[in-house]
Amino acid sequence: MEAFDPKVVCFSCDFGWGYVSGHNALSPKIENWIPVTCSSKVDSAYILEAFEKGADGVLILGCPEGRCHFEDGNFRTEKKVYLLQKVLETYGIEKERLRMVLSNNPGGEEIPGLIDSMKEVLIKLGPMKTR
Amino acid sequence: MAEKSKIAVCWLASCAGCDEAIVDLNEGVLQVAEAVDVVFWPVALDFKYSHLESLGDQELALGVLHGSVRNSEQEEVAKLMRKKSKVILAFGSCACFGGTPGLANFRSKEDIFEWVYRDAPTVVNPDGRFPQTKTRVNENVLTLPEFYDHVYTLEQVIDVDYYLPGCPPPPDLVRNAINAVISGDLPPKGSTLAQRTALCDTCPRNKTKPERIEITAVRRIHEVEADPETCFLAQGIICMGFATRGGCGETCIGVNTPCRGCFGPVPGVDDAGAKALSALSCLVKAGQYGEPRKLMESIDDPAGYVYRFSQPSSILGRKRRERHV
Repeated sequence: MEAFDPKVVCFSCDFGWGYVSGHNALSPKIENWIPVTCSSKVDSAYILEAFEKGADGVLILGCPEGRCHFEDGNFRTEKKVYLLQKVLETYGIEKERLRMVLSNNPGGEEIPGLIDSMKEVLIKLGPMKTR
Repeated sequence: MAEKSKIAVCWLASCAGCDEAIVDLNEGVLQVAEAVDVVFWPVALDFKYSHLESLGDQELALGVLHGSVRNSEQEEVAKLMRKKSKVILAFGSCACFGGTPGLANFRSKEDIFEWVYRDAPTVVNPDGRFPQTKTRVNENVLTLPEFYDHVYTLEQVIDVDYYLPGCPPPPDLVRNAINAVISGDLPPKGSTLAQRTALCDTCPRNKTKPERIEITAVRRIHEVEADPETCFLAQGIICMGFATRGGCGETCIGVNTPCRGCFGPVPGVDDAGAKALSALSCLVKAGQYGEPRKLMESIDDPAGYVYRFSQPSSILGRKRRERHV
């Protein structure tokens, strides 16, 4: 049987992640990567649509505490992620499939590693199923 | 005299509140009866499915269906109504989005059967008997419709021409919808026969909404004495008006109850619940790191709250409908 290779969709804030390397340099190295202007741009519907279209996990990379360019965008996303995790659980989907990391990495070289560590969790969970 | 147009009204997985809404037209019902022949309406008059079957294809000018689809009988009737009607109107929140019966999709069919027929404290079922689609009794076979493992919206089962949301739809919109069909003055197929903007736009409390809402404590309506004039969100009470289509006449708001979202999403929005979640995350005060989480924890059952009427048509709800219909 073919090994399960989970699909992870990664949204990252341009103000904190990969802005030194730029999109063109990083895009070929990161699968399903969607850089956004602020993590709070990631609407709940985008996350749910990612799951609908076959993602096994969604990773959101936001800026560290107190360093959001727009004051509180990262906190807004944190709240959104918390509510969505509860919603996912009600649908019978493990909350670990949606993760947010508040940190920064201007070169963006840590992004593939973060995706890989999420994949390890997803391999244990198996493919996405709704109740 | 020209022959009157024929209409039919039928319920699927529905509480009959939608039938009540038609009766609530009061004397208007008589005007409807003058203008059209109601040839099938099981809740109000004694009709059988055979009456519907005996009609010619597309003989009905309008088929009104309310309720979601949960079993094989409902699916069969919905398909029969489609065959016999020129225009199908999905009437009420259950037909349009799945409605409150759609919340059952958060549980499996097995869970529901075990609770309803075995585990609920009021049930006595020592032999562990569950409903069967076929049961042999002496020489006869008794049948029941098959209970599906999913609740479907009407458009997930048949082609729908128009939508009239509401739990139940208000009389003025019911009257407009029926008149539009009778007069032939219909909007493009697929239209929702209600206003296009969110409830907040027409809410009488809108003027009391502060410039920026910052909820510092989430309260439920039964826990507080809500001010009857002030925006619910400004009082920390979750109101779905910002993510819900208006046109309901603000009846809930009028009796000091926040909007529950029965009119579904505004045009251009696919999943009103997802939008409500995004909006709520912004309305709750940001505070310090980790602090917002405490506030969000005080929102009980967010999925049930934002998908109260729309689970089957929600993004994740519809992902699971690969079967049967």
